[in-house]
Amino acid sequence: MSSSANAVDICCVSRTFGSVKAVDGLSLTLAPGEVMGFLGTNGAGKTTTIKMVLGLIPPTEGVVSVFGGDPSRASVRARIGYMPEIAYYYPYLDARELLSFYGGICGLDPGVVKRRTGELLEAVGLAEAAKRPLKTYSKGMLQRAGIAQALLNDPDLLVLDEPFTGLDPLARIHFRELMRSLRAKGKAIFFSSHELGETELLCDKVAIMKQGRCVYQGPVKDIAGDGGTNLERLFLKKLEDAK
Amino acid sequence: MRTFLRQVRALVKLSFIELWRRNDIFAMFVLALALMVPLSMSTPFGAKGATRYLDEAALLLVWAYSLFISLGTGARLFPPEFESRTVYTLLAKPISRGALLVGKFAGAVAASWSALAFFYAMFAVASLMRGGFGYGADFVQAFVLHLAFSALAVAVSLLGSLLVTPSANLTLSSIALVAMFFFGRRLPAYADTVSAPLSWLVRAAYAVAPHAEFFDMRQRVVHGWGGVEWTVFLAVLGYAAFYVVALLSLSAAVLKRKKL
Repeated sequence: MSSSANAVDICCVSRTFGSVKAVDGLSLTLAPGEVMGFLGTNGAGKTTTIKMVLGLIPPTEGVVSVFGGDPSRASVRARIGYMPEIAYYYPYLDARELLSFYGGICGLDPGVVKRRTGELLEAVGLAEAAKRPLKTYSKGMLQRAGIAQALLNDPDLLVLDEPFTGLDPLARIHFRELMRSLRAKGKAIFFSSHELGETELLCDKVAIMKQGRCVYQGPVKDIAGDGGTNLERLFLKKLEDAK
Repeated sequence: MRTFLRQVRALVKLSFIELWRRNDIFAMFVLALALMVPLSMSTPFGAKGATRYLDEAALLLVWAYSLFISLGTGARLFPPEFESRTVYTLLAKPISRGALLVGKFAGAVAASWSALAFFYAMFAVASLMRGGFGYGADFVQAFVLHLAFSALAVAVSLLGSLLVTPSANLTLSSIALVAMFFFGRRLPAYADTVSAPLSWLVRAAYAVAPHAEFFDMRQRVVHGWGGVEWTVFLAVLGYAAFYVVALLSLSAAVLKRKKL
């Protein structure tokens, strides 16, 4: 595993489930300090790609590497933080216990977990609700707990599946600032989203998927802010072109 | 190794919190009271000598309830993780599926053992209140073998939870273990009375199914027959360990192939 390698390297990757090709010949890279938005309609192959980046499922063809290593290895996953799209956690735990549990799963020192728990609950705005059971949380609060658990091990790569779901406007602004501060620290962020506006505001580059194939990838600065093109228009055009 | 131990500890703690925050705990208190009150009387129902039979009934209840807790706890280890998709978050962390399985199993066993220890403690307290605790090494053996059986029951339901639906798992595991508990020792005699292929099936079940009755020392404890030879005791513990390892190995193979 090389520390100077790309955060994510996806090379000619395909994944089939029976006769269905969920991902077809995908190649993309994400360097440390970059933020990539991974866009597409439902069933485009975003979640399958995320599962391969996390080492949860292997590709049928091609290679996925994270920091030059195979993400199915625990030592590689130690550098990844993941937030799922649907944030259901253990309803009988409170936020502090949830982070303590995930800290143990990451193999972190209990002292480090305690310190990070305090910092993260403060950062995601859950400090006051930290002792309430998760079953009493709103969707947005669960999403914030999800962000906190993803950041617990101070990951070099953040993989976020629909991170804006359930967040109110203030929380979105807060979340965007948090992501920018992480990018400034050299963290790579790879997230899937249907929120084109948020993606345009946050990302360095985007990839657009349709029916398992990548129909566009490039820097956001090339498409945004010229008055004629924006991400929404590009997204619609690329999906139309791919028909 | 330190990482592995931290992971197992986190999973054990999770199982403990889950068990003790569910309503099961209230049912346990009610049952404990139901055990304590008659057992603590010197002449229950005005019938002298009835305590022995009450002790036996109480220990049977302890068996029934601990089986319910062990199977229930084991059966709940993985299905909710898959249903609520928390398994993705878990496996995206630097934990192997093997460590996850071992940690989950250890957690369920620890939680089941805590409930079992609670019941045996209640039984001992009730005996003391009646005028003295008259059990010795036989009681210790009965308790330890019961712990071993509890671990075995967790391993059975854990494997079942990875193969069939939760309700089917609980039903099949309960039937298999309860049937072996009551009828296991009679299977060879039964096989002699039926023709093939049923007799082959009965003999195969006798050879393969875990013999729950090996762990049952209620009669010895209640009637004061004394403990078993320590070599026999250790052999039964080894038998339980063999089954637990075999069942966990099968579970690991199933979990490795489980579609995510």
